[in-house]
Order: sequence, then C-alpha cells, then structure tokens
Amino acid sequence: MLNRSQRRLSGEIPVASTADIAFLLLIFFLVSTTFPKDKGLAIVLPAPSEQVEVSQRDILHLAIRLDGVVEVKRGESQQIQEIRPREVEGLWRQEVASNPSLVAAIRTHPEAPYRFTVDVLDALQGANARRISLEVLEPEP
Amino acid sequence: MIFRGFQKRSKPQAEIPGASLADMAFLLLIFFMVSTRFPRDEERPIEWAVASAARRIDAKQKDILNVWLQRDGTVFINDRRLEMDVVSDVVAPLYEASGEALVISVRGDRETPYALVDRLQQELVSAGVVRVVFATRLEQRMQGQRR
Repeated sequence: MLNRSQRRLSGEIPVASTADIAFLLLIFFLVSTTFPKDKGLAIVLPAPSEQVEVSQRDILHLAIRLDGVVEVKRGESQQIQEIRPREVEGLWRQEVASNPSLVAAIRTHPEAPYRFTVDVLDALQGANARRISLEVLEPEP
Repeated sequence: MIFRGFQKRSKPQAEIPGASLADMAFLLLIFFMVSTRFPRDEERPIEWAVASAARRIDAKQKDILNVWLQRDGTVFINDRRLEMDVVSDVVAPLYEASGEALVISVRGDRETPYALVDRLQQELVSAGVVRVVFATRLEQRMQGQRR
C-alpha cells in the first residue's frame, strides 16, 4: 500500500522528450523539403559557325502563320497542309515512322506570338522529336 | 569534522545535463529559418506559355541563368534591364565563368512577337551558349500524370 507522499501528483510538465520532438521535426522537414525547380522545353543551340547540310527530302517544314495555323510542307513537295499546333504530334509520329532521319524545320511569322512556337515545340517534344531547327518565317516576295 | 562534510557535498555527478538540448535544437532551427536566403532574381510580370511536354531543367540551380523577355522586348538578366544588343556581352562571361555549364532559361511572355525571341536566340548563339530551355508552366490537364 502506498503512503500519502508517494501518491502526490507532480505539478511539472515532463520536458525530457522535447529535444526528440524538435529533432524529429527538423529531420522531417530536411528530408521532405523540395524546392520547386523550373520546367521547360530544352533545346540545344548550334555553335556560331555550325551549319549542317540536310537533304530536302529529310525536312518537314512547319511554317507558323500569324493566326497560329501551321502550314506543313514535306521536303521539296509544293503541297501545303494546314493543321493546328496540337496535331503536329500525331503528324510527326506518322512521318518519322517512314523516315527516321527526319528534321523538323519550324519557321514562325515574326509577329506571331511566341506561344504558337512553344505549342509546336511542345507537340514535337511530346513525340520525342530531337532534330528541330527554329527560324523566323521570311516574308514571301 | 568540517572537511568530511564538505567532501560529501562536492561529489561529482556522472550525468550530462540534457535539459537544454531542446533549446539548442530550436535555436538552431530558428536561426537557419531566419538566415537562409535563396539567391533568386525577382519574378517579372509575364504571362507564361504552357506546355505538356515540359521537363525539369536538369542542372544545378547555380548553373541556371534566367533571361526574362517581356512582351515589349525588354530583357532582364539578374534583375538588370538590358538592351537586346548587349545580351551576348553579358551572357558570354557568365557562360565562361560557369565552365560552360550554364543553362539559359528563357522566360518569355507568351504574347511576345517571335522576332524578338529569335533575336534573343541569335544573341545567345553568339555568346556561345549551347543549352537553352524555354521555361513554361506545365499544362494543367497533364499535371497529375507528370508529377
């Protein structure tokens, strides 16, 4: 049987585990913190004097008009197909299946918003296109 | 008689006092929370282009140089407003100093006329830069799958 002095309740809050809680919190945040990294569409620019000769039949010309419509021309063919930027992905997959060394030549109207180029680049990268050239669309004489 | 009593009181203890550990941990935590600063340039008011194929930039944060291109053609690098013609002069020494590891993150407004983006690209080519990323926001419909 306990005597009176042993049964007396302590008026103090136990602080022995506070250090453990602090370190646990510290380690949790150290491990779980991730800093937001930028995302984007990566391209590799050519060296200043670098020029690569590509056969006309290996080029898929993609001309982005001011209104965002993409004019597609295959190699030396004069036939022009008009598509929307989103349709480029499917088109590229189809074309590259028949010609694995195909190069996408994107030419954008100088006044066209940058987002149209991003849309086409996005579609091409979504289709795993690696050989892409970017230029400004020269005005037709 | 007096000496015996004194010896008894000064007997050393073998325990390390651990009561102040919590204070030290919290102090360190608060110190680092308050003093940590991430070297980032100021965000510019641009409307981002969106892309679903956007990938994380595969480079260390210190090797990423943000080049802001506003709708009116204004270029900002490290919070400095620059003329388009001097971009290559500014970027070239930074590129060399990084051991040619610098990745340029082009943060262009989605409505910027493409001719300006092309000029910027020409400037980067003449600075000798190879790796460029057109920074975009990830398209919302794909967000769940890509993360």
